[in-house]
Amino acid sequence: MTGIKNNSTRENKGYLVIEQTENNQLQILYADETSCSMTGLTIEELLNADPIQIIGGLESIPVKLDDNHELWILDSAKNRQLRIEELEQMNKTLEDALKAAEAANEAKSNFLSNMSHDIRTPMNAIVGMTSIGLSHIDEKARVQDCLQKIQSASTHLMSLVNDVLDMSRIDSGRITLSEEEFSLADMLHDISIIIRPQAVQKNQSFQVEIGRIYEENLCGDPLRLRQILVNIIGNAIKYTQTEGDIQVRFSQHLENKTLEKEKNDIVWLDFMCKDNGLGMSQEFLTRIFIPFERVSNTTISKIEGTGLGMAIVKNILDRMGGKIEVESEEGKGSCFYVSIPLRISPQSRKSLNLPEGQTVLIVEGNKNRARQITGFLQEGGLIPIHMENGLDAVTWLAEAQYEEHMPCAMILGQEISDTPVLEAAAHIRQLAGPDFPIILVSEGDWAQIEYRAVRAGINAFVPCPLFMSRLFATLSDLIGHADQDTDHQVNIIDYSKYRILLVEDNELNREIAIELLSLIGVQVEEAENGARAVEIFEASTEGYFDLIFMDVQMPIMNGYEATRQIRKLQRKDAKEIWIVAMTANAFVEDIRMSKDAGMNEHLSKPVDVERLQEILRTRLK
Amino acid sequence: MQPYQKEYIDNLKDIAVLTARKKSSAQSFEECLEHSLENKEKVLQIVNRNMELLRDHLFPRLDHLFEAPQEELQDLQEFAENLLNGRNELDAELFCQVHQALLSRARLMKDRNSMIRELYWLGIGRHNLCNKMIGLELWQIEKYISQMRLCFAEAAAYLKYYDEIDDTETRGYILRSRANMALGQFKNSSDKIRLGKQTLQILQDKGYQEKEPNLPWERYIYMTHQQIASSMSHSRNSIMSSQDIADVMDSVYIVYHRQLEEAKSQNKQPPIRFTFSHYAIEYYCGLDTLDGLLSKMEELMNKADPTDFSADSIYGLISLPAFYCQYLEEYPERIPAHLEYIEDLYKRIWEYVKVFPDASVNEQLFFSLRQLSSTFLETENSISYGEFIQKILIRFAPGIYLHSQIVGKAARVLCEIIMNEEPEFFDDIDFIRNIEEPEKKKEEVLDYAMKCGAFHDVGKINFITLYSRTGRQWFAEEYEIVHLHTSVGEISLSKRESTRRYAAIALGHHSWYDGSRGYPETYKRLESPYRQMVDVIGLIDWIENVTYSSELYTGVKKTFEEAVQDAIALEGKRFSPLLTARLRDKKVTEQLCHVFTKGREELYQQLYDMKYCKI
Repeated sequence: MTGIKNNSTRENKGYLVIEQTENNQLQILYADETSCSMTGLTIEELLNADPIQIIGGLESIPVKLDDNHELWILDSAKNRQLRIEELEQMNKTLEDALKAAEAANEAKSNFLSNMSHDIRTPMNAIVGMTSIGLSHIDEKARVQDCLQKIQSASTHLMSLVNDVLDMSRIDSGRITLSEEEFSLADMLHDISIIIRPQAVQKNQSFQVEIGRIYEENLCGDPLRLRQILVNIIGNAIKYTQTEGDIQVRFSQHLENKTLEKEKNDIVWLDFMCKDNGLGMSQEFLTRIFIPFERVSNTTISKIEGTGLGMAIVKNILDRMGGKIEVESEEGKGSCFYVSIPLRISPQSRKSLNLPEGQTVLIVEGNKNRARQITGFLQEGGLIPIHMENGLDAVTWLAEAQYEEHMPCAMILGQEISDTPVLEAAAHIRQLAGPDFPIILVSEGDWAQIEYRAVRAGINAFVPCPLFMSRLFATLSDLIGHADQDTDHQVNIIDYSKYRILLVEDNELNREIAIELLSLIGVQVEEAENGARAVEIFEASTEGYFDLIFMDVQMPIMNGYEATRQIRKLQRKDAKEIWIVAMTANAFVEDIRMSKDAGMNEHLSKPVDVERLQEILRTRLK
Repeated sequence: MQPYQKEYIDNLKDIAVLTARKKSSAQSFEECLEHSLENKEKVLQIVNRNMELLRDHLFPRLDHLFEAPQEELQDLQEFAENLLNGRNELDAELFCQVHQALLSRARLMKDRNSMIRELYWLGIGRHNLCNKMIGLELWQIEKYISQMRLCFAEAAAYLKYYDEIDDTETRGYILRSRANMALGQFKNSSDKIRLGKQTLQILQDKGYQEKEPNLPWERYIYMTHQQIASSMSHSRNSIMSSQDIADVMDSVYIVYHRQLEEAKSQNKQPPIRFTFSHYAIEYYCGLDTLDGLLSKMEELMNKADPTDFSADSIYGLISLPAFYCQYLEEYPERIPAHLEYIEDLYKRIWEYVKVFPDASVNEQLFFSLRQLSSTFLETENSISYGEFIQKILIRFAPGIYLHSQIVGKAARVLCEIIMNEEPEFFDDIDFIRNIEEPEKKKEEVLDYAMKCGAFHDVGKINFITLYSRTGRQWFAEEYEIVHLHTSVGEISLSKRESTRRYAAIALGHHSWYDGSRGYPETYKRLESPYRQMVDVIGLIDWIENVTYSSELYTGVKKTFEEAVQDAIALEGKRFSPLLTARLRDKKVTEQLCHVFTKGREELYQQLYDMKYCKI
C-alpha cells in the first residue's frame, strides 16, 4: 500500500463550504486556493458565484456538515481518471499480493506434502530395516546390512531436518554467524574428503584447482562457509550424470588491490563450481534462490532434496556480505560463482625451517600438479627437480646417491605413469636409506592408505587440494628431522622419553640395531635371549617399556616363548606392549606363529633399517 | 655350497621327481593309490625337512649376514644360482629372498659392485615370477613387474659410471640390466619399444664396446633385437604409433633374416615364432590386412607338425592359435568367417596334447595352454571353456582338480540338506528363482553347487608352480600372489558364456561372511545375488583345505572334527551362521565327512581310469 502512496501523481482537491439559505439558495461561504485554481476564479468571485454553475465539469462530493451546511470536495476529471487508474493499480497489486500469498501457500503446501513424502521414505526404511534386522538378529551380515541402510536413511533424514531448521531460523531472523579462526587448507581438504566419494560413486571426474591464495588463516564462520560450499558442490554432483565432469576452483583476491597484502584486513574467497550436468532453464534461474523451489522434470524428481539448499546458501551469503552468480543452460550444465569477504587472521605464521637452495625431487606424472608443486618450492627458495615417472626417478636418485648430491627430500605424486606409487616409494626407500624424507601428495584419504604407505616407506602425507603452507610445514618437519639424524639437532618429536627393549642374541646385529635406534634418540635396553628379556621386563616398573623388538631364534629361550611369558604376566602393560618379531623367517606360518605367540608385528631380517625406523615412527608417535 | 644348502637343493630335486612320477601301466588302482599317498607323505616329510633347513641354517645365516665372511657370501650366491638359473627353476622365491638379503648387505656396506650384481639378480628373480602370471591383467601384476623393473633401472643407472667401473662382470650386469628394463608388460607399447631402442643405441656404441671388448656384444645386440621383436605380442592390445612400428620393423627383420639363414644352413624352415613376428609387423605397418595376417597365421598353424614336440611346434600349434583367437576377439565381426577353423583348431590342439609325451610335466606346453586359455573363444560347436579348463586341470593340476571336485561334491551334499529344509534358500539367484517346480529347482541347485566347486579355483592355474612344485611352505609374498586366484578366476569365467554363472563364486569364496577380513576387496557380499552359494563353497573349500590340501603350503593340518569345530567358532564372522548351524547336526557332518573320504577315493579312481593322467 505504501507503494501506491509513493507512486501517486494525484493533484490536490478543492474545498468549498456551502450554506443553504432560508430561500433554499446555495451560497459559498468558504473557498480554498485549490478550488480557485480549479474553477479559474478569484476568492471574491467564487464567494459571489452560484456554486452549481461554477463546478461545471468538475466533480464534487458533498459532505453534510449540518442541516444547512455542506462541504463540497471538488475534483477534476483528470484527477478522477487518475484515481480510477490508481484504484485499478491498487486492485492489481492486491491481486498480485494475493496470488503471491497463494503461491507461497501452495509452495509451502507442496513442500509439506513433499516433505511428508521425503521424510516418510527414510522413515519407512528405518522402520522396515529395524524390523528386518530384529527378525534376523543372529545373522550378523544381514543385521549389518540393515544397520548400514538405517544409517544411510538417518543421515538423509537428518539433512532434511537440518535444512528445514536452517530455513526456519533464516525466516525468523534467528541465524547468527560466528567469527572464529580457521584454516582454509583444512576446510577445503575436509570438503574434498566429504565430496569426493560421492563423485567417485557416480564415476564423475572431480577436479579441485587452487589458484592464487594470499592468506590461508582466516576468520569467519567456517561451519556456514562449509555449508555453502558443500551445498553447491553437492548439487553439482547430484545434478550431473554418471561420468560427468565437475570442476571446482578456489582463489582469493584482496579487498584493496592497491594496498600490499600485509595491509589488507579482508581477503575475498572466490569459488567457482562448474559442471556439465542437467543445467537449469532461464525461467528457473530467476527462482533458484526462492525457498522450496526445485527444477521440475522427471529426471530431477527422482533426486531427493528439500529445495531449500540454494535459498539457505543465498541467505547465509547475504549475511556474510558475499555474492553469488549462476550461469546455466538446460542440458549443458551450470556454473556457480561465489565471492565471500573474510577477515585475515591475526595469527602469526609458524616459522619454517626450509633449507633454501637445496634440491627437492618431485615425481609426479600430472603436469598441473607438478607445476603447482614446482611453483611452491621455488617460492620457498628450494630447487625443484621434476621427474614424470618412477624409473627416471630411480635412475636419477641412484646417480645422485653415488655422486653424493642427494636431494633433501622427495615429493611423490599420485600419478606416476610407469610404476605404482607405493612400489616406487618402497624401492626408493631401500635405495635412499632410512633418513631420506619421502612425502606423498595425494587426493586420497590418508586414513585409507596410511598402513600401506607407511610400510612402503612414506614419511608423511600432504593432502590435496594442495596448499603451500601444508607442503612447507611437512617439508620443514621432515627435513628438520632428517637433519637431526645427521647433525644431532633437536628432535621434532622427542623420542628420548621412550624406552625400547631389544632382544637379540647376535652381538653385531644388536650393535647395528642399537646404533639405528639411538639415532632418533630413543632409549634402548638390551637382552641377549628370551629368558633375559622376560626377567628385565618383569623387573621393570609398569609402563617402563614402550616397545619390544624380539628376535625369534635365540639360545636358552626363543622369542615366541619369551613373548608368551611376557603376555602371561599379571600386569596391564604385559598385555598391551607392542612386540615386534625380528626374524628372517618370513613364512606365512612364521607370521602366524608370531601372532599366535602374542607378537603384534613382523620385521624381516636382515635388519631392514627403514622398516625398523618406520615402526618407531608409527608406534611411538 | 654348504651341506644344508646342498641338502635343500637335493630335496627340491626329489620333490620334482616325486610330483612328476608317472603311472606304471602294471600297477593296479590300489597300488597306484598307495604309491600316490606314500609320495604325498614323502613330499610332506621333505617339505618339513626343508623348513628345518631354512629355519635352523639359512635364516640364522641371513640374520648374521653383516658379519658373514666372503666365503659364506659366495656359498649363498652359489646356492641361489642352484635355486634358479637358465636351465632350472627349483625355488625362485627363495632365490629372491637370498638376493634381497645380499642386496641389503651390499647397500649397508656401500659395496657398489655387489649392489649392481644383486640388483640384477633380484630383477631376474622377479622377472621369473612375472613370467608365470600368464593371462593376468596388467593392473593385477603391475606391482611385481614394477619391482622387477625398478631393480633393473637402479642397476642400469650406473651406466653413467661405466668408465669408473673397472670390472667386466659388473659392466655386463649394468648393460644387461639396461636391456632388461624393457622386459614384461607395459601400459604403453611405445615405452617398451623406446627402452629397447635406447638399449640398442647403447650396445651399438663403439665407445662402450672398445672399453670392454671381452663382453659378448653381438649376443647382447641380437638378444635386444629379439626382445624388441617380441614387443609385437605385447603390443597387440594397444595401437602403435608409426614411429613404434618403424622401430620394431628393424629388429623383426634382423631377427627373422638371421633365423632364416640359420634355418637354410640346416635345411630347415625358419622358426614359426619369428615368421609370425615378421607377418605381424607387415600387418602393423600397413603392408598387409588383418584378413591377410589371419590367413597367413592359419597357414603357419597348418604347417606346424603335430608329431613334433619341440618348443617351436608347441608355439605353432598352441601359442599361435592363442594370438589368432586374440585378434578375433578384438575384431569379433571376423569370427563368422573363421568359425569352422576355430572349432577345428581346438580339436587339433587337444589331439596334440593327448599324444604329447609326458605332457603333464612339460612347462612349455603348459605355458602355451595357459596362453590359449586366456584368449579362449567359445563358439557354438567348439569345446566349451568349462570343458577346456577341466581338461587342463586334470592333466596339469590334478591336485587342484581333486580339491575342486571334492568341494563340488561336498557342496552338493550340503545344498541338498539346505534345499530339503528351505527350498527358497538360493532364490536370490535369478535362474534358480525362476524355476517353479520344486524338484527341478533342487536338481538345478545341486548341479550348480557341483559346478561351482569344480570351477571355484580355476584362477590357480595361473600360479600353478606355487601348488605343484613347492618344496616348502609359502612365504608371505607367495601367499599374497595366491590371493590373486580369486579375481583372476572371476575374470576368466565371466568372459565366457558357459562359465559366467560361476564367476562370482571364484571371486568371493575367500571373503569373510561379515566382510571384516578375507579377499579380494572387490567382492561385496551383500551386493552379490550369488552370496548364499559363495558362502557354501567358501565353507566347504576351507574345510577341505585345512583338512587335506593346503598343509604343504601353509603348514595347517586339522582333523575333520577340529575343522568343523573351528568353523562353528567362526560362525557369523568368517562363515554364514545359516550354514554353520547345519554343522551342529551330527548327521550332516557325517555325510560331509563321507564325501571327504570316500568321495576322494572315487576321484582317485576316476583319475586312474584316465590313462594319461597321474594320480
